[in-house]
Amino acid sequence: MDLKAVNEILSQFPEERGNLIGILHEVQNYFSYLPEAELRYISKKIDIPITQIYSVANFYNRFSLAPKGNNQICVCMGTACHVKGSEKIMNELQEKLQIQKGETTEDLLFSLDEVRCIGACGLAPAVVVNEDTHGLVKPKMVGKILSKYKP
Amino acid sequence: MAKMVNLIINGKKIKATAGSTVLEAAQKEGIYIPTLCHHNALDPEGTCRLCIAEFSGSIRDSVRISCIQEVKEGLIVETETKRINKSRRLILELFLGRAPEATAVINLAAKYGVTKSRFMTGESNDCILCGRCVRVCRDKIGVHALCFINRGPARKITTDFERLSEYCIGCGACAHVCPTGAIKVEDKGDQRKIFTWEQVTARFTLERCEHCHKPFAPKRYLELINKKAYNPKGLELVDYICPECFKKHDRVSDKRREGALRKAVNKWSVPR
Repeated sequence: MDLKAVNEILSQFPEERGNLIGILHEVQNYFSYLPEAELRYISKKIDIPITQIYSVANFYNRFSLAPKGNNQICVCMGTACHVKGSEKIMNELQEKLQIQKGETTEDLLFSLDEVRCIGACGLAPAVVVNEDTHGLVKPKMVGKILSKYKP
Repeated sequence: MAKMVNLIINGKKIKATAGSTVLEAAQKEGIYIPTLCHHNALDPEGTCRLCIAEFSGSIRDSVRISCIQEVKEGLIVETETKRINKSRRLILELFLGRAPEATAVINLAAKYGVTKSRFMTGESNDCILCGRCVRVCRDKIGVHALCFINRGPARKITTDFERLSEYCIGCGACAHVCPTGAIKVEDKGDQRKIFTWEQVTARFTLERCEHCHKPFAPKRYLELINKKAYNPKGLELVDYICPECFKKHDRVSDKRREGALRKAVNKWSVPR
């Protein structure tokens, strides 16, 4: 358990119950997921029952309870992207990475998720990797995009 | 004296205590409003939506749920109109689609003429997500062993990290308040098991009664009673006596029994 990091995160927030989501955001950013031991520690520290934290962590898509890959790929499945064939892009990604959507590759390099509209309908179909948005993606381009993020 | 307000439910003039809900006021007057999530001992949460009624008079004409709506001077409530019963039948149909084997749901649906559901999921889960168990565990027992997780169709009730709960004290209050019997408590010998439809939430070894030597309650439950009920009065629970033995000793006036009672009570509540 990385106590030092958790304590540092907790010290940024005043000890109020309302800060739970903020704390979870920071923990998610640091670990790229919400580890159980850390959540239990936070529960004791800020005096919120672990069941309530677990409830919140499960409710929001932003939080993940399983480790995520270093590179998070989000395929937009909004209406415009769907019409422009985001399904094909998703299938191509699933085949290339050998995982299903919502899963993470074994080497923890990539995780694949579908998202609803990201507001880039002019670029449909769009794929977001980490902070970069790739627009007008064709199934052929998938390999090239992935190779950018491979070490 | 508490302030009273006047309102009309189904054409009947009613006086109700200010701050109470319309459902409570109706129940007091013997007016039936169906509900699955309301429990007299718990704060209302308005999850089952069956207690809907048409409101007018001192508030905007609207359909609201009566278990959360507070009584108000000049309120007019209609609980069994055509519009309400239509919505109610739909809600019951949805419940029936989810829990086609739960007796409470089947009976209530039959009362409103719903025997079939268009929303069968192909699965059967007695839990209707009313949240009574979560509320009793959180608000009354105060151990926070149960919670809701996920959203939408995936929403369900479980323990933290969906494993055997280390916070559960095995009191069985969740099973007691469950309207459909989705959470069950099973005592076999001196073992207690609490389980929901898919998951065992807790297992306990029951402590034996000092008198009849029958297993009756988990240790952590008795410890909580000790902490919540006895310790604030400066008392300490020393020996475990089951409720039956306690009552038995209480009723019989035989002197010897009385002696045993006093002893038992003294044992039960020895000042610290």
